[in-house]
Amino acid sequence: MLRRYEMYSIDPAAPPAAVRHLADAFRLCGRFIPEVLDSAIGTNLSDAPVRLVWEHAYESPAAYQRYMVHPFHACILDRALLADSPERIVTSNDLNAGLVGYACDTPVYRLRAGVRRLVLLDVADDAVPDAVGALTDAVGQGTGGIDGLAVSVVAANTMASAWMDGVTPITGRPQWSHVWEQGWDSLAAFEAYRDGASALADAERRSWEGVAGGIVRKAASVHYRLLSAD
Amino acid sequence: MTAYIVDTIQVRPDDLGSYVDLVHDVAVPVMTGAGATFVSCLATSPALGEDVDLQVTWSFRDHVEWNEIRKNLVLDRAWHDLARRAAALRTGGTRRFFYPTEAKG
Repeated sequence: MLRRYEMYSIDPAAPPAAVRHLADAFRLCGRFIPEVLDSAIGTNLSDAPVRLVWEHAYESPAAYQRYMVHPFHACILDRALLADSPERIVTSNDLNAGLVGYACDTPVYRLRAGVRRLVLLDVADDAVPDAVGALTDAVGQGTGGIDGLAVSVVAANTMASAWMDGVTPITGRPQWSHVWEQGWDSLAAFEAYRDGASALADAERRSWEGVAGGIVRKAASVHYRLLSAD
Repeated sequence: MTAYIVDTIQVRPDDLGSYVDLVHDVAVPVMTGAGATFVSCLATSPALGEDVDLQVTWSFRDHVEWNEIRKNLVLDRAWHDLARRAAALRTGGTRRFFYPTEAKG
């Protein structure tokens, strides 16, 4: 499977109806493009410079490639997104996370309701596989006792550079090399973790300093209440 | 099949010449370089006391070809520059895709 996120900042002058139209087009995309699975949106609650987040998935790269050439994609979604479209309502931002995602064997990301959080990680290029594995292990072990955390997936951000076919990188290394996707039962549960005393929360507050040999150079995150098509 | 992408944009009458020049001098080489075909650039009269409607049409074979064109554009710095310059000149507009029709008769 391919798990995929798009994150956008919105022009403050954009008509509210146009913003709603884009959000609805994302949320309901699976009704028009059956290959789009688990489509949901949210309004970012973190201080990262994005507002609208669209999360979804595909059964396979072939399914993703059918999405790419579907008229709904070109006609409805891109109308508000492409840089040269007269109806563009999104803007550039310095998060550099317009498109992120990863490959997975099963829908490990699935969350029916609650709060989604995506932590973006910039892992050093020269980090050895053992260190990346240690980071993944540290997150995996650290999430064991955290109340309200229903989903936790750490993966390499492969979609950012393979946006054409879901497999083949066509652009350089993305700013965010890895993602840590979380699903929370509630906003209160996430906030309790964020402000709590767990080793992971402490590591996040310290910008991952020292974790897995200090391979995380930078981190950012978005979180939002999940609004799905169901 | 041939499909069409039609941008209908509004510009102030004083900006019509600049926008038309931008289409012919920049957009045509960028878009055709990416694989699209230039069809037309039509405008309403600038002497009507209102913003001018300008309709720019490109064609391509189908959405598979458009996807390739789109990729080429996104990877082309000149297209991003073009987008910024065009946005600064227009006051509004729409983008629609059109397809051939056939009479049932």
